[in-house]
Amino acid sequence: MSEFVVELRGITKRFGTFTALDDVSVKVRPQSLHAIVGENGAGKTTLMRVLQGILKPDSGTIIVEGKEVHFLHAEDAYAMGISMVSQHYSIIPSLSCIQNLMLAAEPGAVINYTQAKQRASQLAERLGVEFDWDASAEGLGPAGSQKLEILKLLWRNSRIMILDEPTAMLSPADSTALYENLKKLAAEGATILVVTHRLPEVMTYCDEVTILRGGKWVGDRTVNETDVNELAELIVGKALADLPEHHPPKAGRANLSIQNLSVKGHRGDQAVKSVSFELNVGEVVGLAGVDGNGQKELFQAIVGVTPAMGGTIKIDASEEPTVAARVRKGLRLIPEDRHEEGVIDDWPLAENMVLGFQEFAPLADGRWINAKEQRMFADRVLARFNTKFSSPDAPIRSLSGGNQQRAVAARALEFDPKVILAFQPTRGLDIAGMRDVYMAIRDACDKGASALVVSFDLDELLQFCDRVLVMNRGQIYEPAPDMARDRAELGRLMVTT
Amino acid sequence: MAANVFVVNTLVMTVPMALAAIGGMFSERSGVMNIALEGKMLMGACTLALVGAATGNPWIALGAAMVVATIMSLIHAVLTQIYKLDHVVSGMAINALALGSAKFLSDKFLDASKQIAFLPMEVFVGLGLLIPFLTAAWLRWTRGGLRLMATGSDPEKCRQIGLEPVKVRYESLIVTGVLCGIAGSAIVTNAGQFGEYVTAGKGFMALAALILGGWRPLPTLLACLGFGVTQALQLQLQGSHLMGASLPSEAWNATPYLVTLLALIVLGAKNRAPAGLGKP
Amino acid sequence: MNWRLSVLVVAVVALLGVAIMSTQVPPATVFKTLFEGSLGSASRISDSLKEITPLLIAGIAVFVALQAGLFNIGAEGQLILGALSGVLVAQRIPGAAGWVLGSLAGMVVGGLWALPAALIKVYRNGHEVISTIMLNNIALLLGSAMVNGPFKGKLSGAPTTDPLDKGSMIPALMIGNLRISLAIFVGLALAIGIAIWIRKSVRGFELRAVGANLRAAEFAGVEAKRVMIRAMVASGALAGLAGSFQSLGYEGRFYPDFSPGYGFDALGVALLAGTNPWGILPAAAVFGILNKGSSALTIEGVPKGITGILLGLLIIVFAAVRYRESKASGS
Repeated sequence: MSEFVVELRGITKRFGTFTALDDVSVKVRPQSLHAIVGENGAGKTTLMRVLQGILKPDSGTIIVEGKEVHFLHAEDAYAMGISMVSQHYSIIPSLSCIQNLMLAAEPGAVINYTQAKQRASQLAERLGVEFDWDASAEGLGPAGSQKLEILKLLWRNSRIMILDEPTAMLSPADSTALYENLKKLAAEGATILVVTHRLPEVMTYCDEVTILRGGKWVGDRTVNETDVNELAELIVGKALADLPEHHPPKAGRANLSIQNLSVKGHRGDQAVKSVSFELNVGEVVGLAGVDGNGQKELFQAIVGVTPAMGGTIKIDASEEPTVAARVRKGLRLIPEDRHEEGVIDDWPLAENMVLGFQEFAPLADGRWINAKEQRMFADRVLARFNTKFSSPDAPIRSLSGGNQQRAVAARALEFDPKVILAFQPTRGLDIAGMRDVYMAIRDACDKGASALVVSFDLDELLQFCDRVLVMNRGQIYEPAPDMARDRAELGRLMVTT
Repeated sequence: MAANVFVVNTLVMTVPMALAAIGGMFSERSGVMNIALEGKMLMGACTLALVGAATGNPWIALGAAMVVATIMSLIHAVLTQIYKLDHVVSGMAINALALGSAKFLSDKFLDASKQIAFLPMEVFVGLGLLIPFLTAAWLRWTRGGLRLMATGSDPEKCRQIGLEPVKVRYESLIVTGVLCGIAGSAIVTNAGQFGEYVTAGKGFMALAALILGGWRPLPTLLACLGFGVTQALQLQLQGSHLMGASLPSEAWNATPYLVTLLALIVLGAKNRAPAGLGKP
Repeated sequence: MNWRLSVLVVAVVALLGVAIMSTQVPPATVFKTLFEGSLGSASRISDSLKEITPLLIAGIAVFVALQAGLFNIGAEGQLILGALSGVLVAQRIPGAAGWVLGSLAGMVVGGLWALPAALIKVYRNGHEVISTIMLNNIALLLGSAMVNGPFKGKLSGAPTTDPLDKGSMIPALMIGNLRISLAIFVGLALAIGIAIWIRKSVRGFELRAVGANLRAAEFAGVEAKRVMIRAMVASGALAGLAGSFQSLGYEGRFYPDFSPGYGFDALGVALLAGTNPWGILPAAAVFGILNKGSSALTIEGVPKGITGILLGLLIIVFAAVRYRESKASGS
C-alpha cells in the first residue's frame, strides 16, 4: 500500500489554446482532509474534474490506491469510490429527500422505500444528522442540501470524496458543523478533498493544502507549518513588475451613488446587504472578490433589471426607475454573461452595436431607424479596438469570443458614458486586448465618466484601477488607506470572515 | 336506466382522454412538450380502422394502431432530440402530418363496404381506468419512474449525476405513442367508423386534463372524468326538459377548456409544470 | 449540408414518393393537376386568391407574435371570432361603412381574444401555446353556438348567418372572370408595411430584440413585458382582421366550418417565412395554391390529405434547415 491514496502526476489539460492545467501534481494521504486553494481560474475545479473522470487530461497520470488508472467516464471513477459534491448542488427540489438520495444509484428496478429509508437513516446517524425522508427537498436550504449531498456520497460507498466550495452557500455555524462531519468521516476511513477559497477553514480543519495559481502548481504545505498570510501570498502571487502610473481621482461630484442598497439573491437570501459606496468623477474602481459573493446581484440592481429590496441608486445625482432611463442618464454596461445579457447571438454585428442605443439620435429619427447612421456608428465602434470581422451584416456569433468581447466593450464607451459597469470586461482577451479595454475605460473616465469593474483577478484590478473595493458575503469592504494596494491585505478581505 | 346510460357515456368519453393524457404525461415529464397528442391519436384511430377492416382481426388492428402511433411519436422524438426542432413547431408539424396522412389513407384505402373488426369497448374502458393507476404506482415505486420525474424536473442536474435524459425521452415517447394508439383505437371503437374528425379535439382536452391534473396520473384521470361527465351530461340533456337543457351543447363542450384557462389564470402553470419542459 | 439533414430530406422525399406512387397517378400528372387546378383559369386564380388572402394576413399575424418570441397558436380562434363579429356588424350597417366597421370590429375582437393569452404569459408564466389552444377551442364552440342560437339566419335551416347585402361587402376588381378583392390589396399593403416597420422602426427593433433574446433586450432598456403584451394583441387583431376580411370579402356570411384551418396554416406560413418578413407572401401563396389545387387532385384520385402531408413535411424541413444554419455559422 502506497503512502498516498490518490496521486496526480504532471497533469496537463488544454482547452483549445488555453492551458487550464500545466503540469500539476498533487499527493493525497489516506484519511486526510486535503484542501486545494487558489483564485477563480486557478484550475482547481478542472483538476477535480480530471480526478472524477469527467475530463480527460492531455498528459499526466492518475494513481489511485497505488494503481495507475485511466478514467474514460465518470462511472469509472465512481466505481473506484471517487465522487464529488459540485458547488452547484445536484438536489432536485421537486423530489423527496429519499428520492434525491437514491437517484442514479437506486437499489433495484423496484424500490423498497422502507428498506431504503432504514439504510438512509443509518447513514444519517453516522453523520449525526436527521432527515424527514419523505419531505420534499425544496425546503432544505443550503445547509440541508449540503448534508444530503454528503449522504449521497455515503449512499454510493464513496471512499474518496471531493467537495467543491462546500461552504460557499453556508453560514459560519453550518460551515463549522460541516467540517466536523468531514473530520468524522475521515476518521472512519474516508479521504476528503476540499476545493475552497476560505483560508480560515483550511487552517482550522484541513491537514494539508495544495496551492494552484493560473493553472500551475505553486506549493504544498502541511497546515501546521503555514499561516494565512503565507497562503494568501501564494494564492495571489507577487507583483511581477512596477505598476504603471495612476491618475489620482479628481475629487468632487459622484457619478454613481449607492446608499444602503440591498438585493435579494435567487435563492431567496439577501445577496447584497445594505451596501453604500460612491464612484467619483474620473475614478476607475475595481470590485474584487470571489465569485458568488453578491457581485452579480449588485450589478443587476444597478442596471435596473433586478429590483432592489431597499436603498437608493443615483446616477449623476438622480434616481431613475427604468433601465432605459438609466441608459439615457449615461449608464453603460459590459455585462457578465455576454450571450445571455450582452448580445443577441443571431443578430448582425451592426444591430448588436446599436442595442441599448436604439432610441438615441442620430441612430433613430424619432420612431424610425436611420440605417445609414447605424452603419456608420457600428463601423466606428468596431474600429475602436480593431475588432476583426468579415462584415457588419454577419451574425455576431460568427466572431471569436475575444472579438465579441472587444465589440461589447467598445459599445459601452459610446454616447458620453457617465457610469461604466463592467463585469469581467477582459474575459477572453489577450494581454494587448486587456490593456486596450482598460485604457479606453480610463480614457472615458478622464473625460468625466466613472467605472466600476468587477473582476475575480486581483492583479488585473490592482494594475488598472484607481481604487479597489472587496465584496465578500454581500458586503463591501474598503481596505485602510495605507493598505489600499496591498495584495495580501486585499486577499485577506476576500477570503476571510 | 338513465343513470346507467349516463355512467356508460361518462366512461366512454373519459377513457380515450385519460389514455392520451397519461401518454402526454410520459412525454412532458421527460421534458418534451407535447401538443401532438391529437395527431398521434388520429393516426392510431386511422390505423385501427384500416387494419381492422382489412384483416378482420381486432387484436392485429389494435397492435398496428399502437405501432403506427408509436412511429409518429418516435418521429417527434427524433425531430426534437436530434434535429433540435422547437417542441411547438414539431408538435404542429406532427399534427399536420397526421391529419394529412389520416385523410389520405382513409380516402384511398378504407373500404367502406368492409366491416371493421372491433374489440369490445369494455377492453378499452378497463385499460383506460387501469393504466393511470399503474402509472401512478410505477412513478412512485420504481427506478424508471424516479428517473422520469428527475429528468422532467432538471435534465442538467440529471446529467451531472450520470443519467441520460435523451434516452429517457425516447423511452417515454414510445410509451406516449403506444398509449395514444390505444386511445385512438378506443375512439374508433366507440364511434363504429372512422373519419378524420373522429378525435374531435380529444387530444387537446387530454392536454388540458394533464395541466389541470398537475402532470400527476390520478389527478389527471380525475380531470378526464370531469370532462367526461360534462360530455355525458350534454348527451343526456339533449332533447330533455331538465335544467341545463336550454344551454347550447357548445357550452358543455367548452367547459374543459374554460376550466383549464381559469386554472392557468388562478394557479399559473410554471410552478406545477415539469421544470425541465422544453430544455435540451 | 450535413448528413443529418441529408437523411431528413431523403426520408421526406421518399415518404412523399411512396404516397404519390400508392395512388397510381403519375407524378407528372399530380403536379400538372395541382398547377392547373389552382392557376389554370381566371376563376381558379380567383379561388386561389380567396385562399391566399386569409393565409397572408393571418400569416402576418403569427409572424408578428413569433418575432416577439410568442407562438400564437390561437390565430384560428381569433380569425373565427373576427369573421363572426365582422358579419354581425356589417349586417347592421348598410353600405361601405358596413365592411369598414365590420373589419374594425373583427380586429378588436381578435385582439381581445388574444389578450388573455398575453396576460397569462406575462403575469402567470403560463405557456401561450396552451392558453391559445384552449382559447381556440372555446372560440370554435362560441362561433358555432352563436349561429345555432341568437344569430341564426332566417333564410336557411342550416346554422349560418343570413348573407350580407352585396353593398356592405368588400368591393372587388373584376378583370373578365378574374376577381381580385380589395382584401388582398390590403393584405399586400399590410405585408409590406409590417416588413418595413419591423426592420426600420425603433419599436420593431425592440420587438425583434425581445423575441431573439429577452434578457439581452431587458439589459438594453426594452420593457419586455409591455412589448410582449402588445405583440400578442396586435397578432390577435391581425388574425381577427383576416377572419373579417374573409367573411366580408369572400364568404358574405358566417357559418361554423367557416375556416378550413386558415389559422393553423398561417402558423405554417410564418414558420416557412422564418425571420424574413418578405417571405410571408410567397409562403402564403404556396399554401393557398396547394389548398386550392388539392381539390382538383381529388378528382384525379389523389386524396386531399396529400397537401396536409406535404405542408407538414415542408415545416419540418424548413425548421431543421434553419436550426442547422444558425448552428453552422456559429463557433
